Amino acid sequence: MQNAIDSAQIEDALLAVLLNDTVLQSICPDGVWWDVAGEAGGKPARRYVVVALLTHADEPVFGGRGAEDYTFLVKAVMLNASSVDSRAAAQRFDELLDDEVLTLPDYVFGAMFREQRIRYVETDAENPAIRWLHRGGHYRVQVGIPT
Amino acid sequence: MAILTGRYGEVLYDPAATTPVAIISLNAWKASFKTAKEDVTCFGDTNKVYVPGMKDVSGTVAGFWNSATGASKILFDAADATSPGLLKLVPNGSTGEQAHFWSGLAYLDADIDCTLAAPKVSGEFMAAGPWTMAP
Repeated sequence: MQNAIDSAQIEDALLAVLLNDTVLQSICPDGVWWDVAGEAGGKPARRYVVVALLTHADEPVFGGRGAEDYTFLVKAVMLNASSVDSRAAAQRFDELLDDEVLTLPDYVFGAMFREQRIRYVETDAENPAIRWLHRGGHYRVQVGIPT
Repeated sequence: MAILTGRYGEVLYDPAATTPVAIISLNAWKASFKTAKEDVTCFGDTNKVYVPGMKDVSGTVAGFWNSATGASKILFDAADATSPGLLKLVPNGSTGEQAHFWSGLAYLDADIDCTLAAPKVSGEFMAAGPWTMAP
């Protein structure tokens, strides 16, 4: 039987890549958030990154877990922004995540790549004049359990 | 005794046919012990009548590709082997359950299916000597 591995290492590593990138910080200064954005500097976040876990599957083998397969949503959300900025954010996600490597202490990294793009505009529920731009993608992360 | 999970199943193999060791990263096996039945129906019989012939032992193993020693390569080496190895199939390798298994000499074939998901390996085996069920 294998010892339990902390699966949160996967999202920790993904978030670290995004949080530590100065280019992304300049495009999305209100931070990187898990699922839902909070306040940035005492104000509602207006230009930020959202990361969420969309799907996850354990690949079982006899006696334990053999591998894990994740799909993360990674998108920039911007209030009344220029599409140039949301485009730059999406481009930066790809530079940081597509076919790049995550550092994982207890896993064997397999692959990370974009599976599909996201681009849509959302009208604010309270004020139709406000438009939220969403842009990014679904990124797949595959890891193995050391044997 | 109870109905147990297959999570701790095992597939063990030894190309030298003496001491089989577990092949890692597998997650399925299936074995079939079918005895051929010969049709001996005669005039006047009210239904078909059969007599047993020879038992056939065959099956499949499956799992994920793993480049580690003790994993998938064993299957592919076995597929190239000209002499049969000893194959042992354990439904549940937990303490107290390891004594229950099937084993015998077998030839193996191997397949690999590589997509964007974790590459899968599988193999078919067929008996190359008498098979037994323990205990």
